[in-house]
Amino acid sequence: MNILIIEDEKKLALALQKGLESERYDVEVALTGEDGFFRLCSRTFDLIILDLMLPGRDGTEILRTLRKTDSLTPVLILTARDTVEDKILGLDLGADDYLVKPFAFPELTARIRALLRRGRNDQAAKLGLADLEMDLLKRTVLRANRAVPLTAKEFDLLECLLRNQGHVVTREMLTRDVWKVTVRATPLDNVIDVHIGRLRKKIDEPFLPRLLHTVRGVGFILSEKEP
Amino acid sequence: MTPRPSSVRVRLTLWYSLILAGIVLVFSLFVFSFVKASLFSELGRQLDSDFLAISQASFEEPGELSDIETEGSTQIFQIVKDGRLFYQTPAFQKAGLPLIAELPPAASRTFRSPSGDRFRLKTGLVGPGILLTAAVEEEPVRDVLRTLSVILLVALPVALLLAAVGGFVMAGRLLKPVAVITARAEKISAENLSARLPVENPDDEFGRLAAVVNQMLSRLEEAFERLRRFTADASHELRTPLTVIQSVGEVALQEGLDAAAYRDRIGSMLEDVGRLTHLVDSLLTLTRADAESARADRKEMDAVRLVGQVAEDMRPLAEEKGQDLALTLEGPALILADEAMLRLALVNLLDNAIKYTPRSGAIIVRSRVRGDEVVVEVADTGLGIPPGHGDRIFDRFYRVEKDRSGEAGGAGLGLAIAKWAVGANGGRIEWESGEKQGSTFRLVFPAAGKADKSNDS
Repeated sequence: MNILIIEDEKKLALALQKGLESERYDVEVALTGEDGFFRLCSRTFDLIILDLMLPGRDGTEILRTLRKTDSLTPVLILTARDTVEDKILGLDLGADDYLVKPFAFPELTARIRALLRRGRNDQAAKLGLADLEMDLLKRTVLRANRAVPLTAKEFDLLECLLRNQGHVVTREMLTRDVWKVTVRATPLDNVIDVHIGRLRKKIDEPFLPRLLHTVRGVGFILSEKEP
Repeated sequence: MTPRPSSVRVRLTLWYSLILAGIVLVFSLFVFSFVKASLFSELGRQLDSDFLAISQASFEEPGELSDIETEGSTQIFQIVKDGRLFYQTPAFQKAGLPLIAELPPAASRTFRSPSGDRFRLKTGLVGPGILLTAAVEEEPVRDVLRTLSVILLVALPVALLLAAVGGFVMAGRLLKPVAVITARAEKISAENLSARLPVENPDDEFGRLAAVVNQMLSRLEEAFERLRRFTADASHELRTPLTVIQSVGEVALQEGLDAAAYRDRIGSMLEDVGRLTHLVDSLLTLTRADAESARADRKEMDAVRLVGQVAEDMRPLAEEKGQDLALTLEGPALILADEAMLRLALVNLLDNAIKYTPRSGAIIVRSRVRGDEVVVEVADTGLGIPPGHGDRIFDRFYRVEKDRSGEAGGAGLGLAIAKWAVGANGGRIEWESGEKQGSTFRLVFPAAGKADKSNDS
């Protein structure tokens, strides 16, 4: 999978490149709008990460030009502005997703995975990891073939973690995807921590290996290995 | 644009002089024409009475005509009998007045003598074939009028000049307080906003102006003070996590740890980055509220359903502390509100209630419809707010106790955000509290339908 990052903040661009390469993507970085545009014209990418505010050739301009000839390549916009108007502008120009700085890296990789997966039909009825099984239709969870009773919230939480298994899920992602709260300043972190604690008690404490891990300062991960 | 004098003083004087000039001009014209009319009518009356006297004399005693000439006021007349000159006074002859042998169309008229003097003539039949023409000189009257006009023409500009000078001086004296206010106000800047303008007479216009400016200065000073405090508080709140990040990073670098320990240190640093991000998000939310660029997307919604949802979302927190979270919800209660904003307000209020209520305390969430209003109440049995804090609890970064910060307390923005979110949706927050008596926060919204849709943004 080829990803092009067009971002003028060098430190951020290189950090993203390293991070995405460790997730086994092929990454090219363009530090100016002109360079980015040149690379876009010379070859095709599977996904483009575009900073909206670039010196010289602006991100919106690049996006507009790109969409004239290519309407398929997914574009993920990065910006420091998060008013509704800015978001609408970006999406109107043909961006596929939108991430406001500062963002958590796991959030970015989750969005990238979602964009690359898009169009593919993966309406699985069952999710699972090791001996943990989830039936999305019956809304039941089994661990080591034993039923684990979960509340609705705990079920949604586990589903989100299972869908992102092997990847870190941040509190912000959970706030948005499980609690359906879109305002960034809503203080739900404590609530999330309590739910994670309860979920861990139900699916992990009586069993081995531990599946639900906390990544300090970042979020949570569901995986067989310690992170 | 027409050029206009820059100074109010000059403008006042000009206007004043212009109006005065108009009045004086009209007055002078009136006086002149009145005097002229009355002098001429007097002249006419004199001629009439003279004519009558001469005609009587000539009719009764024709021999005494020369007596009339010397005695009467009119020394200028002629009598024509059957087309021939019968008698003429020397003055008549001297003035060069013509022989009038026929009855003219108008009895009375003005005649200009060859020497340029003007006479008023009156001609009439005083007997069979006897034509009398009497005359009076107009020059004395015209002299008076000429003098009068000269007086008026000279006096008018002089009077105007004097009035303008007087007006200029008066305007200067009247406007002096403005100059004083201007000079004082110029010296007031952001550094000495506590200075005030002098109010000499609080009842006149300038006194009121100064008082109004002073009130504005008070508000400005207050706003500046709030801004200064806000900046100081914000810097402090931002500096705390930054210091933690810096010291954790520096110490970790110095120590030379193994990978797992490094991970832990970096995780710790990221936790504080999270705190910073949250703080900046909250500040941005409030800044946007100030700029009113965050418009509420108000739709009709059931407040009770949302309150129930948020309370259930927060319930685990209360349960962890062994608190009883009781809901008494009467619904549905439709209001016009932006659901995301209202949720933000409710989460903040409940978060506070849980945070500041000790273990095994109780939190009661009630909602009801009260007349035209929907009331949502969050009551707790917590620490309460001691008297004397007032509505400052809604100020940014304001904390009831300074040591409530850190683990238990947030950044002190929750109530500020809640107040904004409720206000932007047409509601208000009422609250009551006492030390160790718990607190009750009441959100009051106009019920939808009865809500004033005009302030719906």
